[in-house]
Amino acid sequence: MNLITLVLLAPLLAAILILPLRRWPEAIALAGIGISFAAALGLLAAGFSGTTSQVILPGLPEMPLRLVATPLTSVLSALVATVAAFVLLYAVGYMGKDNEKPRFFTTMLLFVTAMQTLVLAGDWITLLAAWELIGFSSYLLIGFWYGREGVAGAATRAFIYTRSADLGLYIGIFVLIAAAGTTEISVTLNVTGPAAIIAGLLLLIAAIGKSAQVPLYDWLQRAMAGPTPVSALLHSATLVAAGAILLIRTAPMLPPQALLAVGLVGGITAVVTGLIALGERDLKRMLAASTSSQYGLMLVAVGAGVPMAALLHLIAHAAIKSSLFLGAGVFQHDRDSTAMEDMAGAGRARPRIFAGFAISALALAGIPPLSGFFSKDAIIAAALTTPWLAALALVGTVLTGAYMARALHILWAGKPRATSSAGVVWMGAGIAVLVVLAIILGAGFPALEQLLEVELPVSYLAMALGLAAAASGLALGWFVPAAQLLGPVRPWALRGFAIAGGFDGLVLRPAMAIARVCERLERVLYNGVLAIGQSNLELGFITRKSDEQGIDAMIFGLVRRTIAAGDRVRLLQSGLIHRELALTVIGTAIITVVLIAAPMYF
Amino acid sequence: MARDLSYLFPEMTLSMAVVFMLLAEMVRMPRLALAFGLVGLALATGLTLPLLDVNTSVFSGTYRIDDLSTWAKLILLPGTAFSLVLARAELAGKDREGSVYSLICLVTLGALMLSGAGDMMLLVLGVVLTGLGSFALVAYPRDDAATEAAMKFLVFGAVTGAVMIYGLTFWFGGAGSTLFSELGNMRGGSLVMVAGLVATIVGLGYKAALVPFHFWAPDAYDGAPISVAAYLSVITKIAAIFAFAQVLRDLPLETGWPLIIALISAVTMTLGYLAALVQTNLVRLLAYSSIAQSGYFLLGIVAVGSNTLALQSVIVFGAAYVAMNLGAFAMVMVVGRSLDDFKGFGRHMPVAGVAMVILLLSLAGIPPLFGFVGKVLLFGAAIDAGFTWLAVIAILNSVLALAVYLRIIVPMYQQPEDGAASVTATKQPLLTLVWVVTAVVTLIMGLAAEVLL
Repeated sequence: MNLITLVLLAPLLAAILILPLRRWPEAIALAGIGISFAAALGLLAAGFSGTTSQVILPGLPEMPLRLVATPLTSVLSALVATVAAFVLLYAVGYMGKDNEKPRFFTTMLLFVTAMQTLVLAGDWITLLAAWELIGFSSYLLIGFWYGREGVAGAATRAFIYTRSADLGLYIGIFVLIAAAGTTEISVTLNVTGPAAIIAGLLLLIAAIGKSAQVPLYDWLQRAMAGPTPVSALLHSATLVAAGAILLIRTAPMLPPQALLAVGLVGGITAVVTGLIALGERDLKRMLAASTSSQYGLMLVAVGAGVPMAALLHLIAHAAIKSSLFLGAGVFQHDRDSTAMEDMAGAGRARPRIFAGFAISALALAGIPPLSGFFSKDAIIAAALTTPWLAALALVGTVLTGAYMARALHILWAGKPRATSSAGVVWMGAGIAVLVVLAIILGAGFPALEQLLEVELPVSYLAMALGLAAAASGLALGWFVPAAQLLGPVRPWALRGFAIAGGFDGLVLRPAMAIARVCERLERVLYNGVLAIGQSNLELGFITRKSDEQGIDAMIFGLVRRTIAAGDRVRLLQSGLIHRELALTVIGTAIITVVLIAAPMYF
Repeated sequence: MARDLSYLFPEMTLSMAVVFMLLAEMVRMPRLALAFGLVGLALATGLTLPLLDVNTSVFSGTYRIDDLSTWAKLILLPGTAFSLVLARAELAGKDREGSVYSLICLVTLGALMLSGAGDMMLLVLGVVLTGLGSFALVAYPRDDAATEAAMKFLVFGAVTGAVMIYGLTFWFGGAGSTLFSELGNMRGGSLVMVAGLVATIVGLGYKAALVPFHFWAPDAYDGAPISVAAYLSVITKIAAIFAFAQVLRDLPLETGWPLIIALISAVTMTLGYLAALVQTNLVRLLAYSSIAQSGYFLLGIVAVGSNTLALQSVIVFGAAYVAMNLGAFAMVMVVGRSLDDFKGFGRHMPVAGVAMVILLLSLAGIPPLFGFVGKVLLFGAAIDAGFTWLAVIAILNSVLALAVYLRIIVPMYQQPEDGAASVTATKQPLLTLVWVVTAVVTLIMGLAAEVLL
């Protein structure tokens, strides 16, 4: 039994088990995710001891499905498993009273399995399948409370946004496979020339959609409609991370032209969604915008040619953002709302949760010695080679500090109210572990650099700049109201750059038009599928009718006669035995004839 | 002689156990009889283990101690123990309870004779020993249905038994010996050979409920207590199949016996599943399904003269069949005889529902369950022996099988029409023990076999 299969099968089997049993979903889910977590840590340990393993499954001819555990993929797998395990722990409390728990845990586990498959995929086909499964299961999760107003729309929006960008992944993969002649990811990374540029740009489109980058970032904020554990999982190590992971894994292949585009998209996203976060009036939506912004910073690092820095920030961000979301979930439970004005003072009522939230916020802003400092420092150091990238990254950092400080200010400054909610123990346990990770992960970064055999540029200038940006951002956010800070941009930011200004016409509208064309295309396809289904049904009816009139009539005729015979038995028992014995004798006679005749022919 | 007896410890243990069981029943202590039976069966199973690699025969070649008979013991003895548990669950506290236990063990003794028979006399002895006990078991309830079923069973048995003994005398005359191993030296032309072969097919075909000797089975199973039906559908059937293997592997292939066995196999499984498709009484449905399953067994028997995979496949499928059929009958005892009783059962008792699904899917031969492993080996054996057409028919019948078993599975997960009240399941720990063990064996052995093979 390979650890890779254990990582994938444990949550999958748990999901399959929950569905028919419909009992003890929490226990089964935690057991499944726990085994997966242990196996992922085992993979990581194996990675540190220098062994790589892979599983090859039969797939298309000449193109087997591969799952590989290289140092990079095992780090990512461990990250996914960690966050998933503690988010599920938290969910035990959060979903305590929901009566659709089996569905929730099944979908969550399916989602985690899909994400692990994506992370460990060693060939493009597996990656594509996992990518689609992630999209699908996130659609199920965002739409979990489909009965509530607006939820179905949000789920559909998220699905269509990411789906339309997936087109980039499909074509990109075809280009890569055509150029390299194999589906193995590690081999296709050697592709060069125009194919690499085209494929790189197409993969960037896919990443834009999944990682909610400009211009396809709108869906992420709306995806807050799902339960909080879902948001925590989607935003930290899984759904949104898929885009960044795709680019990190393919970074060695990307030529300078594609890197330029990646950096540009990332930088702009970091600033634009940072501004949106600063103006946001809803805590969870603010965190969502912040996610886009932080992934923008990761893309900046990839664009600057240092994917390792992006990976470090991905890891740090996963722990930080999941704990932030989980904390926000506790406040939401207390106040039954996610609007900032209702949240005022919620932190003061729960000092311990607030402390965790604040530590994570400071970590996100980049305050030493928390993990975010190290990863952000690595990004800025990487970006320093290109001045305009560095500028965008620094602005993004300032904004990060500002919006996090603003949130903290609101949570702390208002009047505390009495709180009453159950299940906080489970939730607190999940948060505590993630916060501790957010604090100490930075210490593990040198070991990771060693494992992945990458040396990051060290720059004291970057450290100073990053620290100054973070500090000034925090100060601005705490002392200056957002309205003043944003100035003339505020109305736009409030509408999420909704993109009433020039933005919409330039970028989003075409994208939306494509999305709509895709949607229409899908509708045509849908109708086609429906028509096929309808005709199948018709065929089925015809078959059934012929069954009823033909075969069924025969069988039922037989049954009727049997029943009639049975009735006779009651009156005249021996009659039937006679008849059956006669049949037996006829059968024996046939057997005898065949046996006598057989040697003549064989 | 002493050497021979040392190979017969399992049989001797079992017959001693039967004697003690009868004594216990005489003093009206049925629970003691049950205890004697279970201990005797366990002891006999344990005593079989040292025989695992032995390949010899005792009493001048009349009784064989080989892979087939040893594995028969390892399969049939635990299967009998589970049947006793089922019988206890059904008949506890009833009149003449202990005699059922002792009869069951006695019939198993006959079944062991059949599966180790190396001689015509022993074959007849086995058929009679299993037959007489079975009639009494079926007639146990002493009501009209049971009496009628037992009568039918008896008349069928008497006729086929007579034909069998009559036909076997031709073999004795032709070969000058009652040993199967002498069958190759037959004199007197092909008709003598045919007469004995037809006789064997009639006698054992009746025991294994092959078409066209199956007519008694649904009535007998339906009239008998369910635990007895479970027992008969499993133990005597497997014994008869193993006896087929013992006889036919010594028979020259030129007689064309594989062809006739293949034809019977095809007809048996097709008719069995077709009839099962229209049953609403679960016991009758399982009766027809077990008729069809014996058709599958014959896939291995067809190949028994030409390759070694055949015996292996029959043994593996035998083990699988014991587990899944006993489990399915146990579930019928839990839920009820009618198909309607199963409506909503899977929602009402999720764990038992999953177990039943496992058992039924295994009967249908769905991977990765135990039944699938057995069937794959059987298909392989038949194809190796050149009977590809038969394997194709068997695979087509698997589709029919799925339809038969889905007729039970689908209602299990339907919403009961008038609330949960319609599910009236009896939760007896003894029954639970049986279905849990059989379902787990079906699942684990399937997975294990897939890893090992």
